[in-house]
Amino acid sequence: MRTNRRQMFVAVLAAAAARKIRADDSVTVAGKRPMILHNDRPEDLETPLRYFDSWVTPIDAFFVRQHLPRPAAIAPAAYKLTVNGMVSKPVELTLAELQKLPQHTVPATLECTGNGRGFYTPKVPGIQWGRGAVGNAEWSGPRLSDVLKLAGADQKAAFLEIDGADTGLAATPDFVRSMPMPKAMHPATLLALKMNGQSPDIHGFPARLIVPGWDGTSWVKWVIRLTVSAQENKGFFMNPGYRYPKYSLPPGSAPKPAELEVIEGMPVKSSLTAPEDQSKINLGPTVIRGFAWAGENAIERVEVSTDGGSRWREAQLSAQKLPFAWRLFTLNWTPADPGYYTILSRATDTAGRVQPIVPAWNPSGYLWNGIDRVGVTVEKL
Amino acid sequence: MKFAMLAFGLFGVAMAADQATLDLGKKEEARSCVPCHSLRIIHSQRLARATWVKELDKMAGWGTAVKERDALLEYLVANYGNDKPAPAPGMTENGAKK
Repeated sequence: MRTNRRQMFVAVLAAAAARKIRADDSVTVAGKRPMILHNDRPEDLETPLRYFDSWVTPIDAFFVRQHLPRPAAIAPAAYKLTVNGMVSKPVELTLAELQKLPQHTVPATLECTGNGRGFYTPKVPGIQWGRGAVGNAEWSGPRLSDVLKLAGADQKAAFLEIDGADTGLAATPDFVRSMPMPKAMHPATLLALKMNGQSPDIHGFPARLIVPGWDGTSWVKWVIRLTVSAQENKGFFMNPGYRYPKYSLPPGSAPKPAELEVIEGMPVKSSLTAPEDQSKINLGPTVIRGFAWAGENAIERVEVSTDGGSRWREAQLSAQKLPFAWRLFTLNWTPADPGYYTILSRATDTAGRVQPIVPAWNPSGYLWNGIDRVGVTVEKL
Repeated sequence: MKFAMLAFGLFGVAMAADQATLDLGKKEEARSCVPCHSLRIIHSQRLARATWVKELDKMAGWGTAVKERDALLEYLVANYGNDKPAPAPGMTENGAKK
């Protein structure tokens, strides 16, 4: 959708009003616990690691990434999803019609393409995410393939174009993405109407695309249009946005456009959640915790080192070994002596991919997946 | 002559980042950036001059009418350059239902 001048004017007024009532510069986001604040207009909120204590991340702790201002609230009765392009019967579907289709639930980890950007050197522009632009939820709704069948989508079409209700201010490009048709027709690709059994609210109510294993940018929120097409969309958020070098580059270099390609599946990765980085813990038995995920694959193994990487031990993994969804890991550890310890975690997925020590620098700071690391001081407390 | 050019060069650099320029840049930031987004997204970055130039080009392409571009650039480099330590982000207040 395009923004008109009136919409922009209203947004500017609303922003000015919001600033007035926040003379102390504090920010509260309805429905969210205290979150790491990267930006408030639009909202970019990171989950503090201490909230990651369950397999399903609660909505009130789930990270938020907005490229553009949140669209005006969509009334369920007024919602329309347009399906057009290379279809035999263009349709406009209501929320009730989407609810009538068979509903499926897919647990999947959603990670911002730029999660961990803040760790790259040299620094690159963008939200300086740490570890918490990721979460695992149970997404429910109709399969995207069932929605496309209602319109008689041409199975030979190469792409599906997806538009969200959010619009850019001034000449900021609209948020439109394309996805190859085989991924759109995959049985795990959903148009989610529920997140953890509840309304997705800020996460894309009433309908949000679920593209399991792919980067967060593919998971378009507030979906209002699906267009079956022969060509990939050429807008900013497909090109030059959200592209990654085809082969590694020297850090700090500027690749030519032809050297970049669209990001699809996400890499293998693990994050340590306990003990907290630079914390003090008692000399005695403790539990090292974290989670690991691997895009379209499942996690095979997580190894943990407590001596900076000299020796590695295999961690215990949570039972569900699923593609798309993370696994929690734990390692019981009793340090022998007081002192400072460097704890590392390294995940391996079912395809044999292993987390690198040094992730490849890239000009937009995407796909950080380096071996995770925290330092703790062990002492007699 | 060489010395004169060098002196002029140094003088030019000093002029570019004087306090009046930085103040003007800060004013320009409040005028031209705030209509579309809050300043946190700018102030959390630590970028090289060349990268700030690219960001200003991108925003101009997205419809930002910057009047004092040079001053804005000097202000960004002086305050949010890649030689400055990264800031610790703040936290939101609790907005979850009790």
